[in-house]
Formats: sequence, structure tokens, C-alpha cells
Amino acid sequence: MRIVGHDEVEIQDENDAVSLCSMFAGDESFGIDTKKIREVLGKRDLQRVPMAPVYIGGVVPYRGEVLTTVNFRALLGKGELAEVNCVLVLEDEESGERFGLVVDAVGGVVTVSRKMLEANPCTLEARAKWLFDGAYKMQTGLMVQLDPQKLRPSRLAETGLFKERANGERACER
Amino acid sequence: MDDLTKEFIAESQEGLDRMERCLTELETRPGDSDLVGEIFRSVHTIKGTTGFLGFDRLEKLAHAGEHLLGSLRDGKLAVTSGLINGLLRLLDGLRAILTLIEDTGSEGLRSGDEDGALIAELAALNGAAALAVAGSASNASVMAIQQTVASPAPVVMGPAGGLSDKTLRIDVEVLNRMMNLVGELVLTRNQMLQSGVEATNFPELARRLDSVTADLRETVMQARMQPVGNLFGKFPRMVRDLAQTCGRNVRIEFSGQETGLDKSLLEAIKDPLTHAVRNAVDHGIESPAVRVMAGKPAEGCVRLRAFHQSGSVVIEVADDGAGIGIERVLAKAVERGLVTAEQAAGMSEREALQLIFLPGFSTAAAVTTVSGRGVGMDVVRANVEKVGGSVEVESKVGVGTTLRLRVPLTLAIVPALVVRSGGQSFALPQSALVELVYVPKRDEEKAVERMGTAELYRLRERLLPVVWLDRLLGLETGDAEEAHGFYMAVLEAEGCRYGLVVDDLLAPEEIVVKPLSAGLREIGLFSGATVLGSGMLALILDVGATAARAGVKPVEDEPEVEALGEKIEESEISLLVFEDRARERTALPLDVVERIESVPLEQIEYAGGRALLQYRGELLPLSDDGDVLAELEQEHGEDISVTVLICGTKGAEGVQRRGMIVRRVLDVSGGTLIDKDAEEGEMELALVKEKLTMIHREFSVKAAPAWKEVA
Repeated sequence: MRIVGHDEVEIQDENDAVSLCSMFAGDESFGIDTKKIREVLGKRDLQRVPMAPVYIGGVVPYRGEVLTTVNFRALLGKGELAEVNCVLVLEDEESGERFGLVVDAVGGVVTVSRKMLEANPCTLEARAKWLFDGAYKMQTGLMVQLDPQKLRPSRLAETGLFKERANGERACER
Repeated sequence: MDDLTKEFIAESQEGLDRMERCLTELETRPGDSDLVGEIFRSVHTIKGTTGFLGFDRLEKLAHAGEHLLGSLRDGKLAVTSGLINGLLRLLDGLRAILTLIEDTGSEGLRSGDEDGALIAELAALNGAAALAVAGSASNASVMAIQQTVASPAPVVMGPAGGLSDKTLRIDVEVLNRMMNLVGELVLTRNQMLQSGVEATNFPELARRLDSVTADLRETVMQARMQPVGNLFGKFPRMVRDLAQTCGRNVRIEFSGQETGLDKSLLEAIKDPLTHAVRNAVDHGIESPAVRVMAGKPAEGCVRLRAFHQSGSVVIEVADDGAGIGIERVLAKAVERGLVTAEQAAGMSEREALQLIFLPGFSTAAAVTTVSGRGVGMDVVRANVEKVGGSVEVESKVGVGTTLRLRVPLTLAIVPALVVRSGGQSFALPQSALVELVYVPKRDEEKAVERMGTAELYRLRERLLPVVWLDRLLGLETGDAEEAHGFYMAVLEAEGCRYGLVVDDLLAPEEIVVKPLSAGLREIGLFSGATVLGSGMLALILDVGATAARAGVKPVEDEPEVEALGEKIEESEISLLVFEDRARERTALPLDVVERIESVPLEQIEYAGGRALLQYRGELLPLSDDGDVLAELEQEHGEDISVTVLICGTKGAEGVQRRGMIVRRVLDVSGGTLIDKDAEEGEMELALVKEKLTMIHREFSVKAAPAWKEVA
């Protein structure tokens, strides 16, 4: 898939190219490898799960299954934005775990060169270090790469980094 | 493991199950050559296929068995209990090797796995008869071998788990029908996509989609249904072995083997049922000597019966043994501190019987040595309740004990009530729902009483712990201004009874249960989720876990035990008791009544001399036997409400509803029918809580088949 989005970049080597799906949470932009995304569902009504960890965005019906979603804004410690959301379906190939990721909006597919990737800076705080997987230097700014593996609800629970509710704020979106 | 081997294992296990049944039957009918032929074929098939697949060890053992069975078939051997024992050991041996192959992929050739002793025993059995000359010497050697074999031979009880649980045999017919329906589904979808919502034939398409889905659902269910007989099949052997070790003389009888039950449920009740049968043989049935003394035939009988009753499957384990000694049960319960001596003294027989299901009761084996049942009955009950079923027990000293397991037909689709709380929808399984209480806004203040921090509601003069769902789940509470009072669902699960307060009740729905991801299951309050008709998701509340979270403890108080007990007697039915004519008590079967509504008098309209009520877009005819309407109008004018029972009858063309105006609703309780009153055609008399009550039969005849059985 080589649809060139708004960030057009010159690619010298085919092997060097990565297709990323860009997405937004707050004013930052993020990217996930398109190969790891099963589907972009768009805006969905999320059914909240009471007593669930704060980063659980709720559940949505998806192809006869109940899909657990992770709220990316909550992971970043930002308050939730009501109304606007976009659900992506990610699947971890190893464990077969399927889950949703809730972001503010999905941009488009961007093809970037691997060379543009920089590792996480050492000054990054622990939580962000877990979530972020380096950043691409784009003309418009930095695009942070995310690793779906690490966003799996079960992995997030294991790390214990995201247990407390962000700033005591209650996740209430209805 | 390749497909061929898998198929071979599944097939062989079925063959061995068949052989096991035949062997136990052969013992009772030694002359039956068909049975011998059947057993011979099972072993022969295994031998033939193993040789082909290259399982030498299995082949060798099967060959030895076949040789022995060959002599038996040719009439060179007589059926003796020693022979049957030997053949059963052969069966165990074959089964153990099969399990080994299934687990490890190979039959294992370590020295400990060798079957030399077993083969020798089989040969000796064969030789003993073939060469009658061998006489006592060889007999002795057989005995010796039997003793050495008895311990190392691995005993595998029942059909081995694993593969056979994962595979399912389906009638090709059913599969074809399924495929047809899926094709139909695809066609309907195509048409819908092409025509769009505005098309004139859209309603027709939607209807077709509806019927195709319903058919498909039914067919898939049918494919999942397995006859209960599959489960019963392993009991003859178990009972035989157990009877021998306990020194009992026991016969087992079946009925209703063809009753179908969902495969997953069949698996779920396997252990509880095994336990129940074991209990019946071990503790229920007395030793032959005691039986003869009591004037009973020396041979005891365990009866397994399966049948359908009002949407669920009932499996009964009945024995004609000693029964459960109530005094012993009570004494034990008092000793264990489960009830006080005063409580025990006031208990009826039926209440006392329920005590055996208490967790503390089962831990000590002492009960079983003196009186009968009690080992792990709480576990049996917990297992059955886990799949939405229930357990009942009935016992008469000296006559026998009957244990009844009641399980729903299927797990995947359950009737549920959808409620709203804190702006979210939740589904409550109907099986846990006892009744619904509406508390209007004006009564809100006094309805809930406080004792310290605990909140209680007085339900027919009994205090019920109240749990607020929104508070428990940390949801936002609804707007106080908007509130119109609240609803309370009285729930009962795992012995806990409590009132769950919700903001609103939505429709009862048949919901399809979907599992939640592991992370969300850990919360422990939700047993799954479901997609509602509106397309929204609703979480299914785990009623038992909710009780535990809210701190509601199981209380086995007197009235509840009584209520449980009342369900046992078959001639009893649940009735809604109300008053329509002054001073007369009338009742309706509870399953006919859909709702109880309080309707302002002014909303009741009249047409052609008949009272009518507009109710949820339907026009309901109202019957008013007690002339309540006229009376109220005279006394109070129009600004008063009357109580209307909304009754539904399932007819050929959907549900027929009508309203019934009553003076007041009195109670919900079980009642015993007495004779039909000849003078009044549509009325019957019943005793409800020792009071004479008339029963309206107008609905029940068509409406409730369960009720018809009873009547």
C-alpha cells in the first residue's frame, strides 16, 4: 500500500520505506505501521466498563466479538475529549489478541524512510518511554511511532505503569 | 499428530465406549451373542487400524484381546465375572495407550508401559477354558496375575477428555441445512445491499432476514445438541466398579437418553452428575444384608432420568436406598455451627434437607458414614449454578433419595432483563431475577430504611439488603430532578438474595452472550457482554459476584429455605395471588403475567361498553371481574390509580395481551392444586399458604404448557 499522504517524502530505497498510518491525540501526531492495523472503524459509541482501569476506553461490537479498546488520550494522561473519537482495530500476531485503540482522529497513510527514525530521548519519563517507539522527523514536526505490541490491554496491565487514574480525573464519557 | 491418527483416536474411543456399555450389559445377559459380536468388532477394528498406523504396542494388546474374544464368540468360553474383569482391564489398557498417543503422539515404549502382564492374563483366561485340563493350577495363576495386574494397570474412568471434547459428530443433513441457510443469508444480504432502505420491498427483505436468522440459529443449536445418553453411557461401568468395591448390589436404569443438551452444558454437568451417581451408590444404597432386613430386594437401583420441563432440561438421579436421616443432618448442622439448636428445632424436613448444600456441611466425611449424602454437595450445586442451573433434593428415610439437576437448554443465548443505571445499560439474567419492585418518587424517602450504613428494604415484612448499582460501580448518579423514583430488581444467586436498585427497566430480551477480553474479566463483575437490539453493547452483570462485591452474604434463613422447598413438589406452581372481588382470593400462573401496572383511572377508555387501555402502542381489552372500576369511580372520582395485570398469551399469531383489573396484588407464592370446581368451568381451586384461592384458567390452558402438565 503506497498511498502518499500530506507528508510527501522522497524514498530512495524500497526496502527502506515504511507505511505509517498517522493519527492524532491532542496536538501531537503519532504513527503506526499500516501492516499492524486491521481496520479503521471511525467514530463509534463506546460502552464504558465500570471499575475498569482508566486506560480502557470501553467496549465496541466488532464482527461478532466484543472488542476491548484502549483510550490513548488516557494513556498519555490527557483528559478525555467527549464526542470526537476514532477507533482503530489492532491485532497482535503472536498472541492473537485483538483490541481497539481510541484516538482523536486518523490522518492518512504516510510513507517514510526508516532512516528518519530517531530513538526515544533519554529524558523521556517512564510511561512515555513504554508507549513511544522513537519518532520520525517529518517536515511538519515529529511523528511519534507506536508499537501496537506494547499497547495491548494485557501488557498495559502487566506493566503497572498506568494503574492510577490520571490526575484523579474520572473517565466519564457518555 | 496427523489427521489420520486424530480420527483413529476419536473413532477408537467411541468404539471403546460402546464396548464398555456392552461389557456391563453382557454381565447381566451372558448368553447374548450380539453383544459379544459388538465387543469383538470394536477390538478388531482397533487392531486392524493400529497395525496400519504402526502402533505396535496397541496392536499387540488388541491382538491378545481379540484372541480371547474370538474364543468367547465361538462359544469355547463361558461368561464369568473373572472374564468380564479381564476384558474391562483390557479396555482400560487400550484406553490408557490411546490417551498416551493423544497426549504425546507416541504409544510410549518405556519398560513400565509394557502390557506383558495384561497380555499374559488374557492368554491365561483364554487358556484356562480352552485347556480345561489345566484346572486349578492355572486358575490360581490367573488369580495371581489378576492381583499383580490390578495395581499397575492405569484406570481411566469414562471417555477420556481432550480430543473427544473438541470434536463433534454432526449429521450431514444438519450441515447441509446450515449451508443452505447461510446461502440464503448471503442472497438476502445481496438483495438488501442492492435495494437500499427506501425500497418498497425492504420490509419484506427484513422479514426474510429475520426468518433466515431464526432458522439458522435453530439449526446451529440443533447441531450443538447432544443426547444426554452420551453422558449416561459411562455410568454402568462406574456403578459396577463402585458397587463391587463398596460391597453393594446395584442396578442402573436409564430413561430419556435421547434428550438433547448443548455440548458445553453436557461437559459442565458431567462432574456434578458423576458425583451424584457415586453418592447414590456409595452412601444412598445400603448393603444387601441391610436391604433384605428392611424388606427390600437385595439389589438396589439407581435411576437416571432426563426430560424437558418448561424450557430447561431436568436430570434426575434417584436411588431406592436408605434416604437421608433428617435428625442426623440437623445434629451435624448444629455441631458445625451452621444453624443454632433453636433454628434446627423449628425446621421442617424440607428445610433441613437444604442444609446439605451448605459449604461447611460437606467438609467432614463423618456425615456420610452415619447418614448418607453430604460430600461436596455444595460443589455440585456451585457447578450447576455456574451454568445457570439449579439443584434440588428430595428424600424419604427408608425409601430413597432423588437429586434433581435442572439446567438451561443452552448457554449461548439467555433470556435477560435489560436495565439502565447511571446512563448505561446492563443485562441481568432472568434466571437470577426473583421479582421487580417499583418505588415511586413520593415513597422514595421512606422505602429504604437504614441500619448503620446498611440500607434495607421491607419486602412483605422481610428485610432485604439494598445495593445501588450506580454507587457500586462508581457511575454518575442520574439527575435527581428527572428521577421518577427507582426500580429494584430482587435477585437471588448462590444463596444470596438482595435488591439491586437501577434507574430504569428496559425490555426483557433474549441476549447472545459474548465473552469479554481477559483484562475485563478480571474486574469480576461482568460475565460477558451482549449487543442489544439497538446496536449498543450492554454488559452482563454477574449477579453472584455483584452480591459478593457489595458484601451480601448468603443467608439460608427460614422463609427462603421454605421457598426453595416449595418448588420441589411437582404439583406446586408459582402463582400471583390478588384480590379482585371483595374477600375472594384469586390467582394467575406467574408466567402468564408480564407486568403489573398502576394506571390512572382517567387513562382507561371505553368503547362499545368495554374498558380498554392504550398500552405501549397496543390496545388492550380490560377485564374487570370485581367491578373495581365502577366502585372506585363512585368513591374517589377520576384522580386515582387502579392496578392492572398485563397478561400475555402466546398464540399462533404472536403474543395476545389483555389487562385484568384487580383490587390489590397480595403475594407471589407456590400453591397446591385441589380438585376442579365443577360448577365454574374456567376456575380451579388451589391452596396457597393454607388459604383457599381460585385460579383463573382462561390464559393458562393455551399459555403455559408447563402448567398444563401440572393440571
